[in-house]
Amino acid sequence: MAEPPPVDPTAERLRAVLAAAGASGTWDWDIRGGRLYFDERFAELYGLNPADGHTGVRTGIFFSAIHSEDRARMKIAVAGIVGGAERFSKEFRVQSPDGTVRWMHGRGQGHLDEHDEPLRFTGLLIDVTERKRTEERLRIAQSAGGVGTFEYVDGFATATVSTEFCKLLGLHPTHALPVRTINGVVCDGHPPIIPDAEQHGVSGIEPLHGEFRILRRDDGSERWVARRGEIVRESETNGYRFIGVLYDVTAAKVAEARLQELNDTLEARVREEVVERQQAENALRQAQKMEAVGQLTGGIAHDFNNLLTIIIGNIDTVSRRLGAGGDPRARRSLENAQKGAERAASLTQRLLAFSRLQPLEPKPTDVARLLAGMSDLLTRSISEAISIQVRTPPDLWGIEVDPHQLENAILNLAVNARDAMPRGGALTIRADNITIKAAPSLPSYVVPGAYVEVAVTDTGIGMAPDTMAKVFDPFFTTKEVGKGTGLGLSMVYGFVKQSGGHVEIRSELGAGTTICIFLPRLAAGSEHTAEEPAITAELGRRSETILVVEDDDDVRVYTVEILQELGYRVIEAADGEAALRALNSGDTAIHLLLTDVVMPGMSGSELADRARVLRPGLKVLFTSGYTRDAIMRDGRLEPGLDLLPKPFTYVSLAAKVRALLDR
Amino acid sequence: MSADAISLTELETDALTEIVNIGVSRAASNLRKMVGAHVLLSIPAIEVVSQRRAARLISEREITQLVAIRQDFDGPFSGRALLIFPESNSLELVRAVTGGDLSPQEVLDIEEDTLAETGNVILNSCLATMANMLQRSLTMTIPEVLRGDGAKLFDVWEGSNSDGLVLFLYIDFAVRERDIRGYIAMLMDLPSLTALKTLLGEFIERIVGDDG
Repeated sequence: MAEPPPVDPTAERLRAVLAAAGASGTWDWDIRGGRLYFDERFAELYGLNPADGHTGVRTGIFFSAIHSEDRARMKIAVAGIVGGAERFSKEFRVQSPDGTVRWMHGRGQGHLDEHDEPLRFTGLLIDVTERKRTEERLRIAQSAGGVGTFEYVDGFATATVSTEFCKLLGLHPTHALPVRTINGVVCDGHPPIIPDAEQHGVSGIEPLHGEFRILRRDDGSERWVARRGEIVRESETNGYRFIGVLYDVTAAKVAEARLQELNDTLEARVREEVVERQQAENALRQAQKMEAVGQLTGGIAHDFNNLLTIIIGNIDTVSRRLGAGGDPRARRSLENAQKGAERAASLTQRLLAFSRLQPLEPKPTDVARLLAGMSDLLTRSISEAISIQVRTPPDLWGIEVDPHQLENAILNLAVNARDAMPRGGALTIRADNITIKAAPSLPSYVVPGAYVEVAVTDTGIGMAPDTMAKVFDPFFTTKEVGKGTGLGLSMVYGFVKQSGGHVEIRSELGAGTTICIFLPRLAAGSEHTAEEPAITAELGRRSETILVVEDDDDVRVYTVEILQELGYRVIEAADGEAALRALNSGDTAIHLLLTDVVMPGMSGSELADRARVLRPGLKVLFTSGYTRDAIMRDGRLEPGLDLLPKPFTYVSLAAKVRALLDR
Repeated sequence: MSADAISLTELETDALTEIVNIGVSRAASNLRKMVGAHVLLSIPAIEVVSQRRAARLISEREITQLVAIRQDFDGPFSGRALLIFPESNSLELVRAVTGGDLSPQEVLDIEEDTLAETGNVILNSCLATMANMLQRSLTMTIPEVLRGDGAKLFDVWEGSNSDGLVLFLYIDFAVRERDIRGYIAMLMDLPSLTALKTLLGEFIERIVGDDG
């Protein structure tokens, strides 16, 4: 230590040693004398005269070069020594006269006399600027990167740790922690962060990188931390040091877990998607099947109706010719033939209804009134063992449908319900206003909007799912052979689809069946119901000329015969071209064009259009067994068009022709 | 009441550390006379924490049972002072203080008395120095030896609502080549800590004066 003079060789040697050790100066503070002595390096650092170091200066000089921010702290520290403390170890900044600031570590000792009174305070300054900067960088690296460091020496119960390390684990900041405390934060079942060397040795630590699930000590939150490190072997003790870092990887772990979960559920989601797709495909296949069958049956029905027109027409003619005085047996045979033909006609009608090719004549319809009007019909069709209840709300919306077809459909459903309740039960027919909102779960065939729902519910035997899937197929029936045609429900389906609605079916084996038909609400304001004109056979006059166009010779012959019988003058044509020639010939007035719709070459509607160019105001009556799209739009007759469906009878043809001419 | 309700500034912490350092130096000097060997004591750090936190903190750092010497003090600030060692260190301390020539049984026999005496010297020196440096006077009760975990020493138990503040000081011992670590804890309530804070402010004012 730098003593006051004299300077001796020992002191010089000591100074050299201290300089080599990195000491930047020494001091000797005489507490009782109130003087401060220092060596040359201290003088240089403080910008003092080295000579004054030997003679001593006032003690306040000690603080003169200390950075203003550290001065108060150092004054307190020195006060401790002056007050009797023995150990002094402080770091502070010293500002040299040239302005450079260096970090110094001052290490000193308070010397006491035999009465424990403080005598002197000696110490030395070591330049720690470099170390301070390194520490600063390390500290910033740790706090900015959220990285905590640790060093564990093999065999020790504690590990040296950094503040950031403690923070990561939610422990109170300190420099040393028992290994057990560190490992205590790890969740059960996970390996320890710092393995017990006694038990595992170096191999217990490897691999050096690892991830640990922990419960933070302070807030109990669950986190993931990763450990990376190195083993440094101590050659002389055969031991090792484990030096490493710890950092939080919770975010990565959570993301990883989410990804894993997504991956795990992928299969289930694909399965779900496939099932959905299969359902959609089944529905599409079903729809396509129905469409194909519809086209097929529609085609058959067309030819069939032509044949029936001939059969019915000719039976009609023979019956009329036979007159009242004919052979009664022949008359009965003719009547039976007529009945058979009519049944065939009604069957064809149903086929067409299913194939959605029947011409509908929609009218604004009050379902409540329609149901009320059906009560008589229902009671007659349904056995007494079944109670019938019809429920309609007073504010039921109007709809626009073909009322006859709706009646037909409801009757069909009622009869099916009856057949499902062989031992009696209850039949409920209910109508309600329903608004269907757009939703992703809505099947594609359901259009959102306002509907009137007509539900027919029975308490009968119900249906199994596989039966339910087939009920709308034409010719599918659960009834005994001969009891049903298998066209009832398919007709209902075709009618409702053609009317812009849809059908729902709910059934369970033994728990009854409900079939709901949804028909679109009629736009407000157009609700009026027209009365049907009565059909009567009215005669014609010779002054009235009718042009009959029909490609089927037999049908044409029959039609012409009836019209002539009725008293009309008739011109006939086998196709559109011939008809146009007749119209063009400038022949006398033609009052009505009666034409088939489906003909080779020119269609009936095309002919009508061209005829009207030649003779504006010409009245046109179409006949058809299969109208397809020729004169229909969206399954309905175009307004202003008149159609006589095939097969027609003497009476129906007479009435329709007369009505048109008189209009 | 929590540790956040009151805290010491950096300078106040420094000042208190130095004051306790003086007290510890006195204690070391007294112990030297008592045991006839070189004794070094130092106080590296000081913290103000809540009672619960103190209990948790010590249990994080010490995994064995603890032994403590307790003395209550009364004056301008009053409370309870504890000198705490890990139990494993306590016999070590007794051996260091008694000179190490005793049989294990003898060490056990005098353990309690030796601990009480050593604790008394250290705590008394610290508290007396504090009183002296802060220019006040304190009275103290006789020492008492306790054993248990952090919760027991700091009177923390489930449902307890008294959560006072603790001045937590780490203390390093070096006696006869033995390194022994311990803790000095001073439990005070809020008014006492506020009074201490005021006295520390006056002390700093005296030392640092007006030149910052």
